[in-house]
Amino acid sequence: PADTRDAAQARVRSAPAPVTDVARLCVCDLLVAQCDVNCCCDPDCSAEDFSLFTTCSVPAVTGDSQLCSQKAAVYSLDVEANPPERIFKLIDQVNPSIFCIHATNYEQALYLKSPEIPTPENFDQLLDKFGGATFSAEPDSWNLDTDTQNPPEANETSRYEYGAPVQTEDAFLRLPSPVVSSWCSDANPAGFLVNQATKCIRSVSVEKCDSIQALSMLFYINSSILASVFQVNITVQSIAVQSLNGMRTLVSSSEVLRLPMVLDELCINAVLGVNYHITHTDTGEIIEAAAAFVLGAISKEELSIEQSFEISFTQENTQPVPLSGNPGYVVGLPVRAGFQPQGYPFPAAFLFAALALSSNKHSQLTILQSTSTQDCLAAQGARAPVLFGYNMISGCKLRITAAMKCQPLAQTLLVVLKGQSFPEYVASFGNSQAQDVLDWVPITQLHISEQMISHTLQSSCQIPVSLGIEVKWTKYGSLVNPQARIVNVTATITTTTLKQLPSGRERIIPITSSVVFTDISSPAEPSYKAWPTINIKLPFDFFYPFV
Amino acid sequence: NNSSQLSSLPLQILLYVNGIYYIFYFLATLAMIIYKSQVFSYPDDFLAPDLAVLFVMAILEVPRLYLGFKGNLTEAEAPLGLSLGLTVVSVVLCVYLLLWQSYVLWADVLLSALLLAAYGLESGLKVTAIAAFVS
Repeated sequence: PADTRDAAQARVRSAPAPVTDVARLCVCDLLVAQCDVNCCCDPDCSAEDFSLFTTCSVPAVTGDSQLCSQKAAVYSLDVEANPPERIFKLIDQVNPSIFCIHATNYEQALYLKSPEIPTPENFDQLLDKFGGATFSAEPDSWNLDTDTQNPPEANETSRYEYGAPVQTEDAFLRLPSPVVSSWCSDANPAGFLVNQATKCIRSVSVEKCDSIQALSMLFYINSSILASVFQVNITVQSIAVQSLNGMRTLVSSSEVLRLPMVLDELCINAVLGVNYHITHTDTGEIIEAAAAFVLGAISKEELSIEQSFEISFTQENTQPVPLSGNPGYVVGLPVRAGFQPQGYPFPAAFLFAALALSSNKHSQLTILQSTSTQDCLAAQGARAPVLFGYNMISGCKLRITAAMKCQPLAQTLLVVLKGQSFPEYVASFGNSQAQDVLDWVPITQLHISEQMISHTLQSSCQIPVSLGIEVKWTKYGSLVNPQARIVNVTATITTTTLKQLPSGRERIIPITSSVVFTDISSPAEPSYKAWPTINIKLPFDFFYPFV
Repeated sequence: NNSSQLSSLPLQILLYVNGIYYIFYFLATLAMIIYKSQVFSYPDDFLAPDLAVLFVMAILEVPRLYLGFKGNLTEAEAPLGLSLGLTVVSVVLCVYLLLWQSYVLWADVLLSALLLAAYGLESGLKVTAIAAFVS
């Protein structure tokens, strides 16, 4: 009993010894007790099997090639012989480099480290290190709980660079996000100027409602952000309370901290979402931080809730217009568009007037979004933004009955295709400002009628059936870092004649809208530095006696 | 030898050459240790002894060569004997770098073997010179 248990423990404690003999190693031997096809090193293969192979998938098995001399097992098929037979040679491979390893006195140099086998003694320590959802190779630098964490110096935190973690008093500004699975990991720092939105699942229980830190508002606004010489406290911008059926109401007194508590078998004031807004100067110093919370209630049956987190950075004194590239458009970001407000003269004539082109987020260039119902008239006006570089096509089906009047139908279809507010100008660069008139490209509108043959009834009205937006763009700037620039946008509406239907009949016609991006960049011309010129000028009295 | 000169010319030449070769050896070995620490897995508790041995050897080399020069030129056996003692220590450290480093590259073997040969020849010449001075 005691000694068998010790023997069993001793067996468990050591992992199987790694095989290092090249003659016995076989990478292609995957099937146990069966011959693998074309695997010349497989010990399960007999001579008849070898005679059926065409080639050796693993021609040589060597140890670390950095050693000066090492054994190598070379496998090849002798196809000349009849039947083909496998040749196995054990040779010494020599590395001719002068920096080859002659000897090592460090036994783990050339092999992967064997992992520790858990025993009752080291189980707790291994669980601490590897038991969470994530573990890093260097846990000490990211460990938030160590007491020996040195606070970073003031000079380092004065200026943040893009992507640098936003530092707070104890560690970093946390933005919980799913790491490997969908479960929330609190170790994700927020990067400066990196706008992120994450959603993750947290396991909860109503009984431990007030003890789970991540459900309380304090956890998210507790630490203050380190910025230049002072610290920026995170203020509560607004609190919205979400009821069990999903309705959200804004709370007027957002200064009062609402901590989670158990009420009537529900856990109320649990944090369901946090939206951080960080304001910074143009030199990279953080001056303000605010958080908007969504609090909700957790019922007893729920074992997990989904939390959503968002962080956005805005520069002080600017409108938070999201750029679609800096300066050239980035593939996948929405194409920015705008209108010219009424009352301003036509831009081409007045270059000095700063025309304010309103370019808020909602007047992007949008395209009809296909819905599951596929009915044009029932579509609730769902529109998808046009993303730069992504050709899109969408459509819907229009059911025409005899009772429909043409003119209102044409107007409705125009709204369906173009949207409520079809912009007039498109930004040429991803970061075009509204004040720079020349950076905006006007949208050319074309109308094409499908009936090319002259119809006797020309007055029959036409309904638009397709909208095609063609965006021509070019590569602009240097050869090594070309920027995308939109040069021309053409919106073509194709109309067709609506033929009168006999009553009671109905027709279904497809309505399509598409966006195509065409690259019209001319081939790049590299320019070379000019040859240096030699400027020789003779003094004016060089030819004195003769001139 | 018409002016009875006991100083050994070969020893002087060898000490001079040894000084120059040692500078090259030190820089090359340091560069190779840096290369090894980047390319191979070289944890700190294996890197520290190797670097320590190399730097101790460099520190010992300076008095060793100085005493050798001085002893040979002033024909005094005491400095030369001290230099011989320091040479023995340097030989031990060189053998460490040749055999017991964490990673011994082929270039390491070549350089250390050359240095050991130089030390051996030097020791022989020093012994001869001490014998000449004493008698």
